[in-house]
Amino acid sequence: MYAQLLTFGAAFLGSAVESVEALTIVLAVGLTRGWRAPLYGTVAALVLLGVLVVVFGQLIVARVPELTLKLVIGVLLVLFGLRWLHKAVLRSAGVIAMHDEEHAYAQAVSSLREGATGRRDWIGFTLALKGVFLEGLEVVFIVIAVGGTSGGLHIAVAGGLLAMVVVAAAGFIVKRPLARVPENTLKYAVGVVLTSIGTFWAGEGMGAVWPLDFVSIAVLAGLYFIASRVAIATIRRPVAA
Amino acid sequence: MRFLKAAVDEVVGLFVGDWTQTIVSIAILGIGWLALSRLHVMGLAFVLSVALAVQLVLATAAEARRTRRP
Repeated sequence: MYAQLLTFGAAFLGSAVESVEALTIVLAVGLTRGWRAPLYGTVAALVLLGVLVVVFGQLIVARVPELTLKLVIGVLLVLFGLRWLHKAVLRSAGVIAMHDEEHAYAQAVSSLREGATGRRDWIGFTLALKGVFLEGLEVVFIVIAVGGTSGGLHIAVAGGLLAMVVVAAAGFIVKRPLARVPENTLKYAVGVVLTSIGTFWAGEGMGAVWPLDFVSIAVLAGLYFIASRVAIATIRRPVAA
Repeated sequence: MRFLKAAVDEVVGLFVGDWTQTIVSIAILGIGWLALSRLHVMGLAFVLSVALAVQLVLATAAEARRTRRP
């Protein structure tokens, strides 16, 4: 039950963050160029992403031995999670700017207007396809990684799909970028969770036995959270002249 | 072609933000693998996670210093 909740939660949160970014692109294209082409582009990207999940998900679950799978996916999850955590620390410490959906939306709208041509539908289709597909690649990795390794691919797919539906519905209702979603905080949390799950699985793949089994993930999450707070405090500390 | 290149860059970018940090992380995981596969001590894997956590603190502090340098 604990493992299933973790799988669902990680897939849901990771997918929600990326869906917010994809929604900003689709909204920018749709509100400046009309809805038909970006909606076709979005559907095409979702079909491609769905094919990737089915093909790679089934291939990995059916073909790769469990320990090898845990080791490889665990290592990849650690690298993936650390990258998110690294950025989250730098954002929280004020070294790099927070991701701002309003700003991203304004930039996208501005470039779309500047680049307006007679072939609007094709441009709108391609921009939405590219935006949703590239943002969705991270979701595909999270879903396959947390679902494939824990044996709960269907749970991870459900978490990812539910997040996409919730974000799309919210975007349809407000017809604006979801700037109020605490995207940076979510990315920080997902970074901690994915790095912890990755360390747990990589450890198991290397032959380690974790005390208290899955509960160790909570201890790992605490450790990475403390490390990230230490990093933020270290960076914020004024440098002596 | 540009779409494919963007997709490949995106896939590499999923795991690599800073090559030095990635190489250090892989080295820590490699050393951890060697140790864990030989010494079957309960809880030893936590040492691996402490090393990764320390690496995170050092890597972010180093990048902050680089970014702030005039």
